[in-house]
Amino acid sequence: MKLLTHNMLTSHVKGVTKGYPLLIKATEVKVNEVEFNPQFVSRMIPKLEWGALVQAAEELGHRQDLPGELVQDYEKNEDFLKKVHRVLLEVEVIEGCLQCPESGREFPISKGIPNMLLNEDEV
Amino acid sequence: MSCEEDGPSEQGPNSVGPCTSSSSETDAKSGDVITVTIGATVPTGFEHTAAEEVKEKIGVEARISKDRGRIYFPITTDKLFQVHLLRSVDNLFVVVEEYDHYQFKQSKEETLMELQQLASKLPWTNALEVWKLNGTLKKKKGHRKGGSTTKVKPNRNTADVAAADTEQQLHQVVSAAESHLEVDSAADAEPCEQDSQEAAPEARVIKFRVTCNRAGDKHSFSSNEAARDFGGAVQEFFQWKADMTKFDIEVLLNIHNEEMVIGIALTEESLHRRNISHFGPTTLRSTLCYGMLRLCKPQASDVILDPMCGTGAIPLEGAIEFSSSFYIAGDNNDMAVNRTVNNICHIQKRRADKGRISGLPIDTVQWDLCSLPIRTSSVDIIITDMPFGKRMGSKKKNWDLYPLCLREMARVCRPGSGKAVLLTQDKKCFAKAISRMGGLWRKLHTVWVNVGGLHAGVYLLKRTGAVFGQTPEDVHESRGMCNTQGDEKEDKELS
Repeated sequence: MKLLTHNMLTSHVKGVTKGYPLLIKATEVKVNEVEFNPQFVSRMIPKLEWGALVQAAEELGHRQDLPGELVQDYEKNEDFLKKVHRVLLEVEVIEGCLQCPESGREFPISKGIPNMLLNEDEV
Repeated sequence: MSCEEDGPSEQGPNSVGPCTSSSSETDAKSGDVITVTIGATVPTGFEHTAAEEVKEKIGVEARISKDRGRIYFPITTDKLFQVHLLRSVDNLFVVVEEYDHYQFKQSKEETLMELQQLASKLPWTNALEVWKLNGTLKKKKGHRKGGSTTKVKPNRNTADVAAADTEQQLHQVVSAAESHLEVDSAADAEPCEQDSQEAAPEARVIKFRVTCNRAGDKHSFSSNEAARDFGGAVQEFFQWKADMTKFDIEVLLNIHNEEMVIGIALTEESLHRRNISHFGPTTLRSTLCYGMLRLCKPQASDVILDPMCGTGAIPLEGAIEFSSSFYIAGDNNDMAVNRTVNNICHIQKRRADKGRISGLPIDTVQWDLCSLPIRTSSVDIIITDMPFGKRMGSKKKNWDLYPLCLREMARVCRPGSGKAVLLTQDKKCFAKAISRMGGLWRKLHTVWVNVGGLHAGVYLLKRTGAVFGQTPEDVHESRGMCNTQGDEKEDKELS
């Protein structure tokens, strides 16, 4: 699971109103090279929940020096865009789980695939 | 992969000179650049998309054979490699001759006799040149480590003969082709279809078959008869050997009413399954996936969801061909998500083997499509192959599933700019479901396609600007949905 995906995932357990962002507990993390496209990164940033991204990177120990707040004029800052690129697309959680911040319900991640299926009684 | 980048020895018996086009079709001297017509079969319904791709990647206008899944376009031999970059075509062939209004004789005997006579009169030379050239391109494609193991050695003898006479030219081309095949069997280290104990190079004869497709109700003959008789005459003329399974050259005889096209195949197996190594019960061919993706015109940074991804064919094609977007493939089924991940890994490994950066902008999640664990209004495009009810699911299930799907997809899709491209065979059910969603989805365009013999529709929808939770449609209760109060509150929190 890449952190870009994590940024979009939310808990949908019945009754939960604050299901985002999901907490990550990773037991295996990999870094895979993906081709850098600055336009992709700079256009993606406004679509992200920046705080959640930084928090997730932190949880995985891959935050490096990503700022807590977005810098100004980041579109032109290639160094910054490369860092964001790495965190969004290259860092992957292979094994672990995602946890709903409100209910505590855990969703397992296995072979890089988060299983977000709910049981009958949770729907 | 460009002809210009490689040394002359890898291109065939002769080096191709500077790319000045000598577009005379009668000049078939080996080494000159010639213009030929290429035919391509494409998924029916996506002819325009394919023509667009040809315009974009090759820069020429393609002619469309409407509703019959074929397009035609001209190309010069120095650019032949470009046809292999096309993602919307299933099969490629080079046209030997085309007749728009061929007058078939009344009787079967006369017609077949005429076909036989035709074999020796057709302008084979250029098409065979292209077939030969294409063979060398494919060899290069097949090798991952620099392509040095199977160079086609120049055969200077046949090349230097400047033939004035067509027949001599023809035999020159054919024997050059034979020598190209000699080198194949001698130097090819990879396991190949041909029997390794095949005859010594000198005795190597070209094997061929004729495939005939015939449509129309005024013909006095069947496709088998035409293939047989035409094939017999071809065999006689070239002294090739007929072999239905292990052939080097496939001659195509396509007849549609008064139109007749004779061609030589440039693709061995259909290109449509190129990305998938782990198939599922309803895996879509990649050319169809490509057509659907082109329809929604993915932009840089678009977040593209396939909520019923099956083996991941659509998002994977997207991640490869429209790689400036991000794809999330999801399914509720264990086997499906595993196959998707396996297919992705397979492609990544193939890229790594070629020395390319292997990572793709794609991820896989296991989820229930009626309750997507995705933030509201965060997706730009939804593209999927919806269960048909015949091979997967059932018609009754679709009745309930489609409205729920459409509603959930509307929730996650960005209002105003979002789009959906949905393939389904259950047109009635879909039409009904969409008619009740006018506040959320608007139909822009429909492409009618043929999927495994079933008539299906690809619907291009636009997400309206309406905010989810406020249109009359989505306030309506349906079985299995969370109560709307909870939804609205959650939506406001997250948006």
